[in-house]
Amino acid sequence: MEYAIELKGITKSFGPVAANKNINLALAKGEILALLGENGSGKTTLMNMLSGIYMPDSGSIFIDGKKVQINSPEDSGKLGIGMVHQHFKLVERFTALENIRIGMRGEGRFVHGADVRKKIEDTAAKFGFDIDLDKTVANMAVSEKQTLEILKVLCYGAKIIILDEPTAVLTVQEIDRLFAVLRKMKEDGHSIIIITHKLNEVMAISDRVAVLRHGEYIDTVVTKETNEKKLTELMVGRKIELNIERPLMEKTHPLLEIRDLTIKNDEGAIAVDHINFYIRGGELLGVAGIAGSGQKELCEAIAGLRPIEEGQMIHEGESIVGMSPKKILDHGISMSFIPEDRLGMGLAPSLSITDNMILKNYNESKGIFVDRKLAREEARKIIDKLEIVTPSTETPVRRLSGGNVQKVLLGREIKSGPNVLITAYPVRGLDINSSYTIYDILNDQKKKGVGILFVGEDLDVMLSLCDKIMVICHGKLQGVVNSDHTTKEELGLMMTGTLNIVNKEGKTDGIAKDSAFTGEEGSLS
Amino acid sequence: MRRYHLVRRADSQLKRTLIYYAAGILISLAIGAVILACLEINPFEYYGRMFTIGLIGNRYGYKSIEGLLKIFVPLLITSLALSLSFKMRFWNIGGEGEFLIGAICASCIAFNSTGMPNFVTVILMCIAAMLSSGIIGIAIAALKVKFNTNETLMTLMINYIMLYVIRYLGDTKAPWNFFLRADSERPIFGSFPESAVMKGIPLGPFTLLWSVLISIILTVIVYVYLKYTKQGYEISVVGDSSATAKYAGMGVGKIVLRTMFISSAMIGLAAALTVSAAGTISDTITNDVGWTGIIVAWLSKLSVPAVFVTAVLISILQYGCQAAATQYPAIDINYADLLQGIILFSVLVADFAANFKIVRKEDAKNA
Repeated sequence: MEYAIELKGITKSFGPVAANKNINLALAKGEILALLGENGSGKTTLMNMLSGIYMPDSGSIFIDGKKVQINSPEDSGKLGIGMVHQHFKLVERFTALENIRIGMRGEGRFVHGADVRKKIEDTAAKFGFDIDLDKTVANMAVSEKQTLEILKVLCYGAKIIILDEPTAVLTVQEIDRLFAVLRKMKEDGHSIIIITHKLNEVMAISDRVAVLRHGEYIDTVVTKETNEKKLTELMVGRKIELNIERPLMEKTHPLLEIRDLTIKNDEGAIAVDHINFYIRGGELLGVAGIAGSGQKELCEAIAGLRPIEEGQMIHEGESIVGMSPKKILDHGISMSFIPEDRLGMGLAPSLSITDNMILKNYNESKGIFVDRKLAREEARKIIDKLEIVTPSTETPVRRLSGGNVQKVLLGREIKSGPNVLITAYPVRGLDINSSYTIYDILNDQKKKGVGILFVGEDLDVMLSLCDKIMVICHGKLQGVVNSDHTTKEELGLMMTGTLNIVNKEGKTDGIAKDSAFTGEEGSLS
Repeated sequence: MRRYHLVRRADSQLKRTLIYYAAGILISLAIGAVILACLEINPFEYYGRMFTIGLIGNRYGYKSIEGLLKIFVPLLITSLALSLSFKMRFWNIGGEGEFLIGAICASCIAFNSTGMPNFVTVILMCIAAMLSSGIIGIAIAALKVKFNTNETLMTLMINYIMLYVIRYLGDTKAPWNFFLRADSERPIFGSFPESAVMKGIPLGPFTLLWSVLISIILTVIVYVYLKYTKQGYEISVVGDSSATAKYAGMGVGKIVLRTMFISSAMIGLAAALTVSAAGTISDTITNDVGWTGIIVAWLSKLSVPAVFVTAVLISILQYGCQAAATQYPAIDINYADLLQGIILFSVLVADFAANFKIVRKEDAKNA
């Protein structure tokens, strides 16, 4: 087979974190290769090395069989590689034409030359793009911006196109249109890499699938010879027998009940769509779903950080809708969310561990001064208890390693003695040992009768750790299953939206029988 | 192709920083020396006078100290005020404008204070200035909180608005305009009546103005405020990550408004103390503290003790340059400004070099 791109032994580390470990990947000419992997498996890092944003620590890149060195995005462009990033790189104030024009080389001095427009229009017509070249980017819908991004790299003469999660922001119809364009590009001899973790799309568009997991290359399979189940197994990994403890507790009444909850994301699209669920005391409820299915919005809404559109959130019989984050905290609901950068929400990275300890209760001490003595004591206690590795209590959190940062965050959350603990991605990016410490912390809380909502990524872990697992897809509830009576395959199918068991016979639909809701809407005990 | 790029140094050592600073200052002095030599002035003699701020061989040496302190006090207070807002990542570059509105309002009281007790007048001047500057500050902060306007632009524009307001007052001869001298045909700013001129503690011929004591007390207060109080803690959290502050249940908007009020009111106080010490107002009354204060705040990395030290050093540089320049007919105050500019620029470059290093791309890969 003739290869457009061959990667051999590519390794890339960011400080102590290895994002890519010895990756071998080949893209045949005129094929669509899907790059599959969970969040943090190193897909985007790998592609950024092809587009010249990062340089590999070691390993070699071959384009059309020739060994090349890509030192900058410009080099990458010259080699015929075009990347469409997940976050668009467009000038908002410019029109479509101007955005394409600014990156064109050797077309004379004038921006609005007739030949330039003709060239762009021809390219657009050839691949069936429907685009208004004079529209300002700021006025474009997301799908139009994406069309423009793709047209842009085609106009620059790219023969190898990389798309980073192009479908994440599109509707079903828009995805179909995008795929039609991709097929046309393929017919025209372009080679395409598409990054995604939606399995149905992988099956629909790709010729072959390469799978990465935790920064390592797993395998490349021919799409026709595989199925979604097999791909899930490859992506999630099946080895590592996890023996996570799951203490069985006497479950108490529902602590937190969510009914018909609808939330919008920052862009104003529906992120969470009429979800029902509840958490009992002494119960650990997992939330499984592909990244960006509404997990973040859900957590933020419960913590009072995001307004809800519709629905109810009841904590021990009292509505928490519209309450300030502070009040919800006082009610005993504690939320810790580990974002992708790990530090963005929940911790103040430049401040010391001590200062971060008191983030939520600094105001409780009397007088105008912050009680750092008490805070230092608490910091010391948590450092001892959770075995946090740090030079001192005064070390800025930013200087700690990922696992320790997460321990600081969880330590603070449980210190206030919440009765509902919301935790999202608490083991994100952690090694096995640190992860286990975190699981132990969560189990200890469960034994104390705390109700825990655990938003996770790793299905193996969730099956071992959680009592029940709620699956969401595109913000819709796909069902709540008992961990003992389900399989990873079933979860995978639910996550991708293939299977929906809400309201199926014998399955829970997320409404507790002994609900604190006494009557119809609004009338609460 | 870019062969070299910048990498932040992993560790920032105080020793290295100081060495770089010293090197930067020496280089700038050398450049200044070349200019002086071209003008046939002995650079060593000039620098000698500069660093002793005209104290040596001067019968009225105490006057130099008084002059130095008059530059130092507004610079110190303004730099502290700016550090406060910068700590919150609120880019208040409107120090000039906030200073001017404070100076105008303090002068309103001052010109109409004939017969009032000195103590009461000066207090009233301070209150008027702090309120007026504070309101300007809080208004800009409110626009930021409510409509997410760009505070850098807003504070920048306020500088020009206030500059033209004071020029208007200084140029308009009219019966209502009590800012001007009544006995002059040409528009000239008047002098304050005795009741509005700052007094101090006489130490022999030297008078230690109250404003100096106030500024030192204020330094201590700001230090304690930022380091130990809840409000100071809130400022650091908002500055570090406003998402985290919101998550912790802090009222970010309220904190921004409050901090900007305090920051601007402090600049207003600096203005009241300055006009009172000067006994008059003019459109150059700010002595550019709104700009220099930004440099002081950043050179000090927003640390209060460092702000104090830096403000002392920059005041000596400013006053020394002026004092030395007056001794030579060949140069004037503009040379002092030029030299100051060169020194500040070198120090900023030195600061950058102390924190970053330039590496070749190939080396970067192996680093």
